[in-house]
Amino acid sequence: MTNTHCPYCSLQCGMTLERTGPALEVTPWPEFPVNEGALCRKGWAAAGLRGHRERLTTPLVRDSHTGALRTADWDEALDLVAGRLRDLRETDGPDSVAVFGGGGLTNEKAYQLGKFARVALGTSQIDYNGRWCMSSAASAANQAFGIDRGLPFPLADLEQTDVLVLVGSNLAETMPPAARHLDRLRDRGGRVVVIDPRRTSTADRADLFIQPVPGTDLPLALGLLHLLDAGGAVDEEYIAARTTGFDAVRCTAAGWWPERVERVSGVPAGELRELAGLLAAAGRVVVLTARGAEQHTQGTATVLGWVNVALALGMPGREFSGYGCLTGQGNGQGGREHGQKCDQLPGYRMIDDPAAREHVARVWGVDPASLPGRGRSAYELLDALGTDDGARALLVFGSNIVVSAPNATQVGERLASLDLLVVADIVLSETAALADVVLPVTQWAEETGTMTNLEGRVVLRERAVAPPEGVRSDLDVLAGLAERLSAPGPFHTHPETIFAELGAASAGGHADYAGIDYDRIRAEHGVFWPCPTADHPGTPRMFEGSFPTVDGRARFVDVEHVGAAEQPCEDYPVHLTTGRVLAQYQSGAQTRRIRDLADPGPFVEMHPMLADRIGVVDGQPVVVSTRRGELQAPARVVATIRPDTVFVPFHWVGANRLTNDALDPSSRMPEFKACAAAVRS
Amino acid sequence: MTTVVVGAGMAATRLVEELVRRGHPQLTVLGDEPHPPYNRILLSAVLEGTHRPESLTLRDPEWYTDHGVTLRLGARVLGLDRERREVLLVDGTTVAYDRLVLATGSIPTLPPIRGMVRRDGTLHPQVHAFRSLDDCRGLVAALDTARTAVVVGGGLLGLQVARALSVRGLTIEVVEGGEHLLRSQVGTRAGAVLEHGLERLGTAVYTGARAVRLTDTGLVLDNGYTLDTDLVVLTAGGRPSTSLARGAGLTVRRGVVVDDRLRSVDDGRVQAIGDCAEHAGRTTGFVPPAWEQARLVAADLCGEQVSYSGSRSVARLRATDLEVAVLGDPERTEGEVVEMSNPVVGTHRKLVVRDGVIVGATLVGDLSRIGLLTQHYDRGTVLGPHEPGALLLGDRPTRPAQLPDDAEICACAGVTAGRIRTCGSLDQVTSTTRATTGCGGCAPAVRQLLAHRPALSTPRQGMEGTRP
Repeated sequence: MTNTHCPYCSLQCGMTLERTGPALEVTPWPEFPVNEGALCRKGWAAAGLRGHRERLTTPLVRDSHTGALRTADWDEALDLVAGRLRDLRETDGPDSVAVFGGGGLTNEKAYQLGKFARVALGTSQIDYNGRWCMSSAASAANQAFGIDRGLPFPLADLEQTDVLVLVGSNLAETMPPAARHLDRLRDRGGRVVVIDPRRTSTADRADLFIQPVPGTDLPLALGLLHLLDAGGAVDEEYIAARTTGFDAVRCTAAGWWPERVERVSGVPAGELRELAGLLAAAGRVVVLTARGAEQHTQGTATVLGWVNVALALGMPGREFSGYGCLTGQGNGQGGREHGQKCDQLPGYRMIDDPAAREHVARVWGVDPASLPGRGRSAYELLDALGTDDGARALLVFGSNIVVSAPNATQVGERLASLDLLVVADIVLSETAALADVVLPVTQWAEETGTMTNLEGRVVLRERAVAPPEGVRSDLDVLAGLAERLSAPGPFHTHPETIFAELGAASAGGHADYAGIDYDRIRAEHGVFWPCPTADHPGTPRMFEGSFPTVDGRARFVDVEHVGAAEQPCEDYPVHLTTGRVLAQYQSGAQTRRIRDLADPGPFVEMHPMLADRIGVVDGQPVVVSTRRGELQAPARVVATIRPDTVFVPFHWVGANRLTNDALDPSSRMPEFKACAAAVRS
Repeated sequence: MTTVVVGAGMAATRLVEELVRRGHPQLTVLGDEPHPPYNRILLSAVLEGTHRPESLTLRDPEWYTDHGVTLRLGARVLGLDRERREVLLVDGTTVAYDRLVLATGSIPTLPPIRGMVRRDGTLHPQVHAFRSLDDCRGLVAALDTARTAVVVGGGLLGLQVARALSVRGLTIEVVEGGEHLLRSQVGTRAGAVLEHGLERLGTAVYTGARAVRLTDTGLVLDNGYTLDTDLVVLTAGGRPSTSLARGAGLTVRRGVVVDDRLRSVDDGRVQAIGDCAEHAGRTTGFVPPAWEQARLVAADLCGEQVSYSGSRSVARLRATDLEVAVLGDPERTEGEVVEMSNPVVGTHRKLVVRDGVIVGATLVGDLSRIGLLTQHYDRGTVLGPHEPGALLLGDRPTRPAQLPDDAEICACAGVTAGRIRTCGSLDQVTSTTRATTGCGGCAPAVRQLLAHRPALSTPRQGMEGTRP
């Protein structure tokens, strides 16, 4: 019996794995507080990939004569990769090699990947798919609070608040066990507000449901602040004592009266007033944003707008109150803290901060001057591949880029222009299928490592079974390459050793793991960072006394609504938005291969009025097109979506051929959640 | 280049914001009111008591200083010298300009009521105009002693003021010279529904009646009524404030006549935006067109190519318990009319549709679809033939009387009603299907299904055939 965590979302539900003969069975782990034994069907079916016929168990190398992938042994594959990387580095410089990571990698892998890029390759060109996840919330939280931890309090605190506002989250489907806290909150008499262009199953549990046009969550926040200020509901005392910058924000909000918000957002003014009334009357308010609010060209501004609402009400730092972000990927939190982001070093340090470089270089045993500077963000990195100043080789760990990148056709073309594409994965994902070298790696129950969940709780995934023969850990792969590249310093392969090194590298940073070790995690059901020393209890709740900004105060940031980069027009008259379904996860590389999980393929959700307009009924094929591509899929006709909007889930190839690659100026987040589209039968 | 803006209202403030954003140098704003720029359209909410007057400020003076903009408040403009390119102020000073923007707004129309204006030119103490923050404050101060008020003018502002005063506890009567309320915006039937709605809220409405005289016994109407009242509030509309332009010899019809770059047809250095401007024969009294014009003029001043082709307007009543929205000009726009009036519940909805596009609409009493209709209207969405009709009907949620066996009950575990019906207890459901073990949301439905489970003695196969 092994206590561990689900391989999928950022909730990192606890579960117990039992071996009965060759089979691996998932059973509840009721003592783990985040999910108390509950799991969704993805979790229950998590062992379904074990022994799967599509599991890769040997490296593959593209044959130069046939153009097809053929099997190779590890030495051949690693020698080939290292040789090509060394050649490229010599002829085109270190930035000719790029690295792309993932928010599903353990902290140890994310850390090691960042170190490998900076030390073994010397490249600045590293980023990861988390950039497409919660980066807007991260950027906003850093600006407003001086730190970015998804939730500044344990998830269960939600049960004790008075009003919970979910902006662009469908947690009942994307992280179902989290919805239990909503029900307990409501049992206590609290209220739940859901803001989403679709009336989701999360919205079905809400006391108030608000259905805006995609990309207009910011005007809602501005209008809400307008009403709260107009009604005298802002907490002047808190604002004076704990914040700066409110005056400018208040003036901007004065220009967002409810009827103006209504015209922009499609939300009747009366509903906004109802929400304002609910918040004004509540002693405790929690505002949570998720991808629906964040994946926009104004995603950072949108989150800041909602943070402003929370600050104006005096909530952050108050018990059972505040602002938080519902992180998406399994290690979306930890993955953004330890150096696989183009501008970061471990411990959430910034790579252009001389003190940070000095500290990390010392841990790594290298000269600070040898560390590269800031690289390109995820989409920009991919978009530059094969161009004059872009990379010529790309190493991919834990990401299925051609399914998950926006404007995927363009990204596919960039990948095709590379001299060398190396993909480490457990199955031949759509991206791996394009690679020159595919490296089969371990997964989940076959390896040990830490993850940091949406609460900032560092948890331990423990190895429960031996990996299939022929498969190696990503850590082994990185060590093998580092050795062949004659990289300075040790590249350990034992996760616990790497975690200790990560702790030292993070010491003194915002995300300080120095006081955490595996035994503490086991004993304490996870430890919340920052935890600087072994005798520090960890930090479940933040901001009680002050904010980690220069002056200890939170910042109101004055933001204005600009709107989605692409607005409906004559040729593309509806909004397209994307999202997830319960039984699938991310690009589906894992979940689509699990027999017990429904795989209906993509569909196009639309309102009966729109279906009638284009002359289709439920189940008939329709074509969705945007300026970037087309997708054909069956119509799913439901009255729960705005009639001016269509929704396509993104777990399959196709949805992201449609999405817009316009980026948020601050977070570099692409606008996955709103673009202009046409639908036809 | 020095740009001077005459006016510090909503259009002027947006213009300055746009110019600051574009890095325009040398900017002076002349406002005749003593207050920093504020949001005028919220005054009725201040009157109602639901909006703190302190929260009206659009930009405080510090903001102007921080952005290098000269803001002169209480600066009354006397005239323009277009030859010398100077603005002359009442205090004798002059301000030179290279480019000038008139954003002088509108001034309230005072109806010809005898006894309303005293010999010294001031209003009778019982009479209040309602345009500025000072007007609003004056009226609020008068509320302490007043119990009744007559609102003269049944347009948007009149109805907002009437409702605001009602909410404050005053007894209100509305006098409207036209045949029905909101006559510039809506048709007779909508006006009638609205009047009925207002009466249901306890407000008396006199249409087709003009106030002619204010005496000691009250406000005398031309239909013979005399309304005994503590207060008279004038909300009979406004007209563009154009005397400055007229005095400077610029072409003025209803407003200052401007071309597609919003420049005076006589002088390319002078532009006009907002309520005071007349473009293509039209003036507007709303904020969104004024802001659109402000953005265009800012772009023009910064050397960008611009062309204004009019604005879509959505007139929205902001009044408690009175729901009205008017999209475009539904009474004077060509198109097919799809209409539904229900005086029983006090609703009237009308769409004017041309080539599948909503080109005008009136909504009274039910704004549940406003968020969609304005989107379709603003974006010119081409609708299907059944859509306009469907848009006027509410959603009717339907729930099956009994869930079919293949209905998914637990999405987390993927369990259907049929599978739950095969279980004998909640424990059995949990252990064999894992329903309720995820998000927990299906627990009530599962309990209900178990409660309605057929008795054990009934053979299940026989059930299928007998189910309706």
